[in-house]
Amino acid sequence: MNRRDMLMGAATAGAAGVALLAAGSDVAHAQVTPAQTAGGVLDRIIKDKKIRVTAEVTSPPFGILDRNNQPDGSEIETSRQLAKDLGVELELVQVTAPQRIPALLAGRADVAISSLSITFDRAKTVMFAPPHGALSIVIAGAKKNSIKSAADLAGKKIGLTRATLEEATVPGIAPQGTNLVYFDDIAATLQAMVSGQVDAAGMSAFAAKSVADRNPRAEIENKFTVRTAYYGAAVRPGDFDLLQFLRTWVFLNKQNGVLARIYQKYTEIPLVDLPVL
Amino acid sequence: MSRDFEWPEFVFLLSAMRWTIVLSLIAFAGGGIGGLLLAVARTSSIKPLRWLAATYIGLIQGTPLLMQLFLAFYGLAVIAGVRIDPWPAVILAFTLYAAAFLGEIWRGAIQAIPRQQWEAAAALPLSPAAQLRYVILPQAFRIAVPPTIGFLVQLVKGTSVASIIGFVELTRAGQLMVNVTFQPLIVYPIVAVLYFALCWPMSFWSLRLERKLDAALGIKRTA
Amino acid sequence: MKYVFQFGIVWDHLPRLVEGAWLTLRLSVGAFVLGLMLAALLAFARTSGPRGVRIAVTAYVEFIRNTPFLVQLFVIYFSLPAIGIRFEAVTAALIGMTLNFAGYATEILRAGIESVPRSQIEAGHSLGFSRLSIYRHIIVYPALRAVYPALASQFVLLMLGSSIVAAISVEELTGIINTLQSTTFRAFEFYFVATGFYLTLALVLRLLLDAVYWLAFVRGHPAEKAWAR
Repeated sequence: MNRRDMLMGAATAGAAGVALLAAGSDVAHAQVTPAQTAGGVLDRIIKDKKIRVTAEVTSPPFGILDRNNQPDGSEIETSRQLAKDLGVELELVQVTAPQRIPALLAGRADVAISSLSITFDRAKTVMFAPPHGALSIVIAGAKKNSIKSAADLAGKKIGLTRATLEEATVPGIAPQGTNLVYFDDIAATLQAMVSGQVDAAGMSAFAAKSVADRNPRAEIENKFTVRTAYYGAAVRPGDFDLLQFLRTWVFLNKQNGVLARIYQKYTEIPLVDLPVL
Repeated sequence: MSRDFEWPEFVFLLSAMRWTIVLSLIAFAGGGIGGLLLAVARTSSIKPLRWLAATYIGLIQGTPLLMQLFLAFYGLAVIAGVRIDPWPAVILAFTLYAAAFLGEIWRGAIQAIPRQQWEAAAALPLSPAAQLRYVILPQAFRIAVPPTIGFLVQLVKGTSVASIIGFVELTRAGQLMVNVTFQPLIVYPIVAVLYFALCWPMSFWSLRLERKLDAALGIKRTA
Repeated sequence: MKYVFQFGIVWDHLPRLVEGAWLTLRLSVGAFVLGLMLAALLAFARTSGPRGVRIAVTAYVEFIRNTPFLVQLFVIYFSLPAIGIRFEAVTAALIGMTLNFAGYATEILRAGIESVPRSQIEAGHSLGFSRLSIYRHIIVYPALRAVYPALASQFVLLMLGSSIVAAISVEELTGIINTLQSTTFRAFEFYFVATGFYLTLALVLRLLLDAVYWLAFVRGHPAEKAWAR
């Protein structure tokens, strides 16, 4: 009887749905207006005195938890600088790597400042501000796993984090027979590498150094570089006012050396010459 | 080098456990209201009401909690055009989840009351609504308490799934601490123990209530 | 910003989705069979074993039932390697699902065993049946019949709960969906279709289980008349 009730209910709901469709409502297109005020998102941020920025705390050194288990890192400090320059309060929206862009698109954050490398695919769904940092993606692993180039990946288990630059690039260079293993969070990928669940993993060179320093016994080393990239802040398509502010903001903070200072503080290397987007 | 798991890290776990408890309680409260409505709908004589309630419960019970969470988290903003902050999306998903299961449990409790009770109440005479309110529900309540507490345990465990979407409750806090200390052998078992400390007392209480109920109903337990 | 639903992208990746669903099914059935065997053993130990064993089984069951499955998985996949026990992701998932299912199944089977009237068991004793024979001829059939619905429900829960193993990188249905949606940014479409897959699997599973019940316990079984209530 339970099953029959469910079937009847599904039929009723289905019939109601069809009736709605027939009535002419356009179900194929849904309007999304996450930041709804006359004047745009920048005005709303200034009026509310608050800006919401994504924060990924498991991506060293861009986002980490400090000694007091509070969010810190180069991108988080950059977010603080943005809030300060805007004269508003900062609200950090904690996300994992695969959520950086979805959080932005769903309106949970106004800007994504979480080491989002600028790529064609991402540029189709978000608008990038000029880059404020650079990183390189490497394959890193324990010393005992000998990997000298992409060809050596065959037959090995390589960990990758979903929705990251390494996930976008490593499968392209990995030969047939490489066992690619995907995790939903950088923390899980790093943990899998350190515990030996994977032979090596793709990550930023900074993350590799951070993990190696913190786990001397694991003897993690950089195997080879996959590619380099510039990363920048991202906003929703259509938020041109905020984008223009970010353009100006990056320009000014490049001139006064603030971006370089923040970068060097956490990565311990000087910031390269940043091209203009 | 990496930090060791010490007192501050344990405190971080405890403070995240706070959110586990809060999320569970809010979902339980909201789900309780929804569940009551669903249980009444499921046992009502209005057929479309029964059908729709059955379909809703069937949908929730026939799909993974993780999927429901993802849909609420990623999908709501798209369909409803609403800007959804993490907390409301998660609370909504767990409330809908709890409502379906509690609705089923309470429907079972209502249907466990013998027909004679309904008939006697109708003969008093009481309207159907009054029958429910003064005669049926109070009795169903007693039967429903043990499995309801059992579901609360399930709900608390279910909140761990919210970690997968980055919500900082106890499990996510565990992941974060492992990332900071690289000591999964210490951290995850401690997280398990914390959940156990939260859940087992409720499970034990539910069992005791069930035994008391069985004794009251004259059912001899051989365990 | 206008969001245009693009379900076409999901259909393009259909083969991979089916692959993932197939792994979900294999994991679920595997864990069910292994978990049931383990649970039968534990239920037997719990009802007829020495006190120490009974306490150990209770501890195991209570631990499984009062801690989240996700945390159990993390312990198996991330914590054990620290003491040298390393399982592949799929193996770890199977072990986790088996142990988890057995925790619940043990209780269900135990309830079933205890539901067999004492008079039947005493009759067996007086006829000189051995402990094992009593189980085999007197307890198993009615116990299974009594708890079949609960076991069937638990099986469906097991299958739905398998979605969690994606967190330790297993590429079953949820894992594949996560990978696909993170590269195409079509989160909603993929999750919607995945939910449909799971619902279908759950319904089909239920129908199959109902059919098995009918075949095993209802259709003309000689003992059926004796146990018919």
